[in-house]
Amino acid sequence: MKFDALVVGGGIAGMESSLKLADMGYSVALVERQASVGGRMILLSKVFPTLDCASCISGPKMSSTVNHPNITTFTTSEVEGIRRQSDGTFAATVRQRAKYVDWSACTGCQDCEVACTVAVPDQFNYDLAARRAAYIAFPQAVPKKAVLERAGTSPCTDACPAGIKAHGYVALIRDGRYEEAFQLILEATPLVATLGRACYAPCEESCTRGDLEGTLPIRRLKRFVADWHYATYDGPGVEPAAPTGQRVAVVGSGPAGLTAAWQLARRGHAVTIFEAAHEPGGFLRYALPEYRLPRAAVDQDIANVTALGVEIVVDHPVDDVAGLRAAGYDAVVVATGTPLAQSLHIPGEQHAGVTSGLAFLRAVREGESWDLSGRTVVVVGGGNVAMDAARTARRLGAAVTVVYRRSRGEMPANHVEAEDAEQEGVSFAFLLAPAEVVADAAGHASAVRCQEMRLGPPDASGRRRPEAIPGAERVVACDLVISAIGLRPDGDAFAALSHDGSGALVADPTTLATALPGVFVAGDAVTGPSDITRAVGQGRRAAHMLDRWLRGEPLDGFHALDDRLAVVDHAAVLARQRTHSRRDPAVSGIDFSVTPHDFAELEPALTEVEALDGVSRCLDCGVCSECGACSRVCPADAIHLEQHDEMLDLEVDTVVVATGYELFDAYQKPEYGYGTFPNVITATEMDRLLAPTRPFNTVLRPSDGKVPERVAYVSCVGSRDRTVDNPLCSKICCMYSIKQHQLIMGALPLADVTTHYMDMRAAGKRYEEFFSQGKDMGATYIKGRVAKIEEKDNGDLRVFYEDIENGGRVVEAEYDLVVLSVGVRPNPDALHLFDEEDLAASEFRFVAEPAGDHSPGRTSIPGVYVAGASSGAKDIVDSIMHAGAAVAQAAATLEVAHPRRRVPLEVH
Amino acid sequence: MRERDRREVIRDEPLMHAPIRRELAGGPLTVPELAERLGRPPEEVLLWVMGMRRYRQVVEVPDSDDEGYFRYQLVASDEEVLA
Repeated sequence: MKFDALVVGGGIAGMESSLKLADMGYSVALVERQASVGGRMILLSKVFPTLDCASCISGPKMSSTVNHPNITTFTTSEVEGIRRQSDGTFAATVRQRAKYVDWSACTGCQDCEVACTVAVPDQFNYDLAARRAAYIAFPQAVPKKAVLERAGTSPCTDACPAGIKAHGYVALIRDGRYEEAFQLILEATPLVATLGRACYAPCEESCTRGDLEGTLPIRRLKRFVADWHYATYDGPGVEPAAPTGQRVAVVGSGPAGLTAAWQLARRGHAVTIFEAAHEPGGFLRYALPEYRLPRAAVDQDIANVTALGVEIVVDHPVDDVAGLRAAGYDAVVVATGTPLAQSLHIPGEQHAGVTSGLAFLRAVREGESWDLSGRTVVVVGGGNVAMDAARTARRLGAAVTVVYRRSRGEMPANHVEAEDAEQEGVSFAFLLAPAEVVADAAGHASAVRCQEMRLGPPDASGRRRPEAIPGAERVVACDLVISAIGLRPDGDAFAALSHDGSGALVADPTTLATALPGVFVAGDAVTGPSDITRAVGQGRRAAHMLDRWLRGEPLDGFHALDDRLAVVDHAAVLARQRTHSRRDPAVSGIDFSVTPHDFAELEPALTEVEALDGVSRCLDCGVCSECGACSRVCPADAIHLEQHDEMLDLEVDTVVVATGYELFDAYQKPEYGYGTFPNVITATEMDRLLAPTRPFNTVLRPSDGKVPERVAYVSCVGSRDRTVDNPLCSKICCMYSIKQHQLIMGALPLADVTTHYMDMRAAGKRYEEFFSQGKDMGATYIKGRVAKIEEKDNGDLRVFYEDIENGGRVVEAEYDLVVLSVGVRPNPDALHLFDEEDLAASEFRFVAEPAGDHSPGRTSIPGVYVAGASSGAKDIVDSIMHAGAAVAQAAATLEVAHPRRRVPLEVH
Repeated sequence: MRERDRREVIRDEPLMHAPIRRELAGGPLTVPELAERLGRPPEEVLLWVMGMRRYRQVVEVPDSDDEGYFRYQLVASDEEVLA
């Protein structure tokens, strides 16, 4: 994109520069970091010395800027770099941050704000009050459009292989919207109760709160909303789309198959699930023990699927997917999981008393009578199935030893499963590899002869390879051997589909489409053994792609997992706060027994109090929680979370830097107690309290909402002060303080206002009169520095000051509220806008004007000009005048470079 | 003395909506009165009440009391008005 001029910064100087250049007929690109132009001025109450309304002056200028035909305004944008070309022009790279709102559709109605579940400090009110993650910058914003603040994907959401928006449902629970939380999970999968119990919760492993005192109970919160929903409503409360008239067959009813069926039924397809077993659920029903996942929970979740009209045909194994197509199904999803157990491949495996973990768990789940009281069981393997088998055997009365050929650290089982097994009395024998199942005279397994191992270098899996120790063997006596060394898909079950050596069906990993048109695969059948959440994610993906295939659309656009923002860094999240108070994590509530006797569900549900306590610990890592509340209420359908930042390349002939100033950080003067004493605020905060769009209903002190009667100002905080490396006078503090004194006395007629000052600088048109006016209204001015401030128990403040005009004694006075008139600091970003050379800095690190005496606004780089407070502290009038000077020179540059480029301006 | 980081306090606002609404259901209260009933610091309660005020869930009773405190009351929702 080509423009005559680039103006960086949309405050008063930037707007003035843009308007002047645009009025001359030049095309201007105005880049503003915030979602609205206006800078700091629009946040002021009134301006000095006229006490005119700041909005009344700034508002029209903001509107003129954004609507000027020669100005293109890039809000929520930042200059990443500017390169000066050999011909003297400039190439700028601008990042336009995603707003996640379609501004062409947004009407500024604020419905998204009201619905938003995340409260954050409002930077436009200097953190005095809250705004929402979905927000319009301020009431007079131009453009008045909403944006969503997104720092990235929250770690919990990012970690979920099912694409469940964990942060979203946590935020909804925090807002008391339990049903919406349940519905948000349903957008991913019908298995809410199941995942609330049996998921391994990678979300919790990633939770930033884990860096403090412990993670949120994210999985149990899911169970909380599931239990709440199922106790409150019949059915899922989901209306499927209008029927498409297309039929889909899903083979297998485990987590992948059920999820795929759910997603397809929601899209209006007629879905039939074919399940080989007598009841649906796959491993959820037949492999996970009742104490981890009660049958009733699985049934509740499956009822969600059938409520949408999905037919489940049980006792119906399928091996001919092409036959399904021929039978009238428009497409097929194969999600048959990993039904086969890996063989031990050791002598004696065929003996009686040897079974697979899968067969054992299924038999117990189906109600087979197993009495292992007084028996000894060896479980071979270190995975989750091994842990489930071991704990199940304990419940049947057996003494159980898990034999694993590597060490504890290499066990593939979830560490929680292993720890729980240990708590239930399961013994572990590590670095033992079974070599033979030894049988008794009756041909029944009586022991496992094991080879002792040691760990060698890592193998392809990254785990250290077990190596046999020559001659070292051990025999472990037992009555039952349960082999649980792995599962695999049954690739041979489908002649029409290809599979690899492990039996995994072959498909495109992104689309999950097989070589057979209309046939997709999902879950462990294609990935090999994984876990429930991964299978759910696969089911979602397959359904998404299959739906697009049916619609004749490209197989892409799976935003749930393929298009997430980068995950937010834990350190960045924690750095948002100066302190973090301790919030104790939820206790597990599981009462383990070393001799478990029954299969009753182990983990208790969270109570509502516990659930709310849990969600209160969320740090809102991504800021926006992706809960979707804004999308659901937006009447214009303007919310688009899939937006991304855009990089813009601009070519310009001149650059005007108008990045403004920064305010002194009052934390650097700890003797004044800012940040520690609630009733010590800055003057910029007071300006917000006095503004018509103030955050409170009037001027209130922050400690308790009381209308203050005794207000003190402390001047020159962070200016004319070498202790904080800022010897400069900030020029504006005296006058803005006097302005506020007058406004306070107008707003609070009973209030006394006292200013503790060093020197009163009133060098401007009518400034001295303005000072006198303040005194005439009753404000008190005491010359002398404030040494320190202390807080009383009731929030009042003791101010200790030097009273120079009364003998220089140190005096103590009490106030309700103390206002620090903070100084101005340079904006360091201004100097580093250019790639190959920094703008030269003045002695005090503002942008230098090397020829300031006769060419104000000219910088050290030819063709680059500085406007307003970027070059030093200025009041509004001076900023506007300075912008005019800078723009005049910029225009001269443009005239010399391209005299014919001006765009004729007909009407403005 | 400020007890908690302001961002942390503000983050709790959605969680505090229900308890604050419960307390205000009995009639308007000042920030210190609400704070006492909720067992939370008045500074934090002010932030939550002002957040709710911004989004039209509560509104101040016009005049402050003799101590200089405003009382805040619930705003009836559209549904409540229609009912």
